[in-house]
Amino acid sequence: MELLTEIMQLVVNGLMAGAILAVPAIAFSLIFAVLQISNFSVAAHIAIGAYTTYVVNALFGLPEAAAVVCAFLVSGSVGVVSDHLALKPLRTYGPLTVAIASMALNLVLENLIRFGFGNAVQALDLPVYRNWVFAGVHVAPQQFFNFLIAAGAMVALFCLLTFTSIGKQMRAVADNPTLADIKGISPEQISRLAVFIGMGLAGVGGVLIALEAAIEPNMGFRVILPVFAAAVLGGLGNIPGAVAGALIIGVAEELSLLALPVAYRSAVGFIAIIVALLFFPRGILGKR
Amino acid sequence: MHGESGNVLSKQAIAPAETILQVSDVHRRFGGVAAVAGADFAVRRGSITGLLGPNGAGKTTLFNIVAGSIPPSSGSILLEGRDVTGRRPDELAHLGLTRTFQLARGLSDLTVLENFALYAKAHPGETLWRVFLDAGSVKQREEAVLEGAWELVRQLNLAHVANNRTTDLSGGQKKLVELGRALLGHPKLLLLDEPMAGVNPALAVEIGNYLLSIRDRGVTILVIEHNMSFIRQICDHVIVLAAGKVIAEGSFEEVRANETVQAAYFGSSL
Amino acid sequence: MTTYVLSVLTFGSIYALLALGLNLMWGMTGMVNLGILGYYAIGGYVSALLTVKLGLPVFAGMLVGTLAAALLGAATCVGLVKLRDDYLAIATLGFAQVMALIAQNEIWLTNGTDGIGQVPRLGDELQGQSFGILYLLICLLIVALVFVGTEVLRRSPFGRVLRAVRDDSMVAATAGKYVFGYQMKALAVGGGIMGLAGASYVHYIGFISPEVFQPQLLIYIFLALILGGRGNNLGAVAGAFFVVIIVEGTRFIAEIVPSLSAVQIGAIRQLIIGIGFIVVLQNWPRGLIPEPLRRYRPPADPAAGQGSERAG
Repeated sequence: MELLTEIMQLVVNGLMAGAILAVPAIAFSLIFAVLQISNFSVAAHIAIGAYTTYVVNALFGLPEAAAVVCAFLVSGSVGVVSDHLALKPLRTYGPLTVAIASMALNLVLENLIRFGFGNAVQALDLPVYRNWVFAGVHVAPQQFFNFLIAAGAMVALFCLLTFTSIGKQMRAVADNPTLADIKGISPEQISRLAVFIGMGLAGVGGVLIALEAAIEPNMGFRVILPVFAAAVLGGLGNIPGAVAGALIIGVAEELSLLALPVAYRSAVGFIAIIVALLFFPRGILGKR
Repeated sequence: MHGESGNVLSKQAIAPAETILQVSDVHRRFGGVAAVAGADFAVRRGSITGLLGPNGAGKTTLFNIVAGSIPPSSGSILLEGRDVTGRRPDELAHLGLTRTFQLARGLSDLTVLENFALYAKAHPGETLWRVFLDAGSVKQREEAVLEGAWELVRQLNLAHVANNRTTDLSGGQKKLVELGRALLGHPKLLLLDEPMAGVNPALAVEIGNYLLSIRDRGVTILVIEHNMSFIRQICDHVIVLAAGKVIAEGSFEEVRANETVQAAYFGSSL
Repeated sequence: MTTYVLSVLTFGSIYALLALGLNLMWGMTGMVNLGILGYYAIGGYVSALLTVKLGLPVFAGMLVGTLAAALLGAATCVGLVKLRDDYLAIATLGFAQVMALIAQNEIWLTNGTDGIGQVPRLGDELQGQSFGILYLLICLLIVALVFVGTEVLRRSPFGRVLRAVRDDSMVAATAGKYVFGYQMKALAVGGGIMGLAGASYVHYIGFISPEVFQPQLLIYIFLALILGGRGNNLGAVAGAFFVVIIVEGTRFIAEIVPSLSAVQIGAIRQLIIGIGFIVVLQNWPRGLIPEPLRRYRPPADPAAGQGSERAG
């Protein structure tokens, strides 16, 4: 019975953690879907979102909700500008060249933050609540709010892609860039919007991570492995897949605590990718 | 007819000398969609056989299966009476089956000569340790390979671009390189995927004559092509595929008269 | 100052080895491997452990370290190479991260984040500068040997098959080449070269810790190869020395702008590397010394079949 409660606790924790991972994983997958590019600078945009929150919340004392919106706008804008300056001119050389350049872009953005804020670890100014307990399973209210924010971001993206004409156009470009061109949709504008939304979501992911853990310039790199793993597991470019992948990895990481030392938790994502790709070379809900 | 066992014993019994390729009940599904649904046909040795069909009939998928690029979901493929179902493309190349690609693929950074030299078989210089420890025989063989490559370059009127990257060639020249390098593997069976697409009429005649001459040298050809006058002029036998199945075969005239075929093409006259 | 220059050039040689290994995998065979520090680290760790714990001579340690990295390269191939492009890049990045976790956490073996110290240095009995000079000469010799070896490979028919695999593996297969076998050999040989780089590093510094997995190093090596010219061994070596000189040269910013903190100077140096990387890619996508085009003379010429090279 105790083991069952423990497993329940781990699954709940895993789902909460997975929902947070899902936000940057969606960002990565959305950009891949529309531009066919793996943009590794998602990691730095996570940190940009987190530092925006830090400035807005800890320094100016604005509430969490405002911090989330600011993080979205700031990291989305940085994403569009940096994509335009650094990556767009390279698209003619193929997606892999751009992917490698995005690692360099990541280095640039991370060090811009380091230049401005230093290496010191920052934290947000948050009230501490008592845990809620349901049938022996503990849930921290902060964790639950984060879960709600993550879910809200996902629902908003889903509505955008499903119900608005711009969202439908985005899916059309993702399905077939040349066809979309013929139909009079400008793939260029759609790409720019996808980068804005994608990097904005990465920033929101950064906020969620900042609410749980510390803020530092290389914080994105610390979580990037499970984020990529989630996107790959779901099939690159597949947004519902990224969510499913993130939840699976979140739960798998927690459950691994039963068998593995805690230090290897972040290896679970990698092992999950390898195992999944051996059976589903294009992801569990694969597309490309 | 198709025994997976005992293909040594029955090489002649199973495959009469004139059948080089036997495709039996081949299926291939992608997700829920059946791209090839029970294709059955044979290719006679020494023939030029055309594979026709409307768009989406499964021709290219079938081609990929025969060439070993993708495995079939079920069914079997016999090459010279030997079961080769699911073999890799490089294994098939050693058994005498070579293919070309629709859009002259993979002609990027290698030069024309390098492309031709690549098709040499059992080249000692392609074995890692021999490069370092058997340099003499590597050099000797490489000279012979290059000599052969130059000869082919001249035959195909490509000598002036022999050292150019193949990406820099014109569309017609690319087609010639594609065809030339496929022949360098000395195939018994050559699969051609739309050799006439995007080729000007003058070059088309040249390629057609070239194909007839290599057929006369004993190479069997299976060709996908949309250019009907080309099919009529060079194919001895025509197979029509629709919805992943063979719906008719025979001479070009027989097939053209066939009502099922006309229906499959939705009345667009052949 | 001389000691400093010697150390910069020694690091240049070690980077050059890494770049030559990467050129074999990525430049010549087209496999984007973001896990290269895994081979570097295993070469260093194996050689360090064998010499420290078992007391093997340094040369034996380096040899076994190189072989271990080559084996690891072949093993990566079994697990990962079927993955295409982006999937391969992400999976190899994960592979190196797992290696880093092992180095940090298997304390009984690797001593965790404290690292392994007291690793015997090659030629340690020499004092001060003589050690630096000797070690630099050894490293340059290793680079020269590896350069000649990889260059022989590149010009050989084996190298031609690797380039065919890079351009389109399906076409290489149609030409009768066993693509997986070639990819595995490229990963094994390239991994071995990187392992040799790691072993050269550890017997120079006398210490190894999970710090070898620092992500900047990965960027430096990719930058070296992109800057020099993908597919070109000479470019890989030149690019590596160039990158080391930029990395070290930017140290002197501290003297020009003394008001900056140490962290800020570190950040500026990384910024220069990152921006330089993107500028080079945008303006010289084939690198400063592009892969040469192989030209053959027609056999009518007396020098039949002799290859000559010219930048194309």
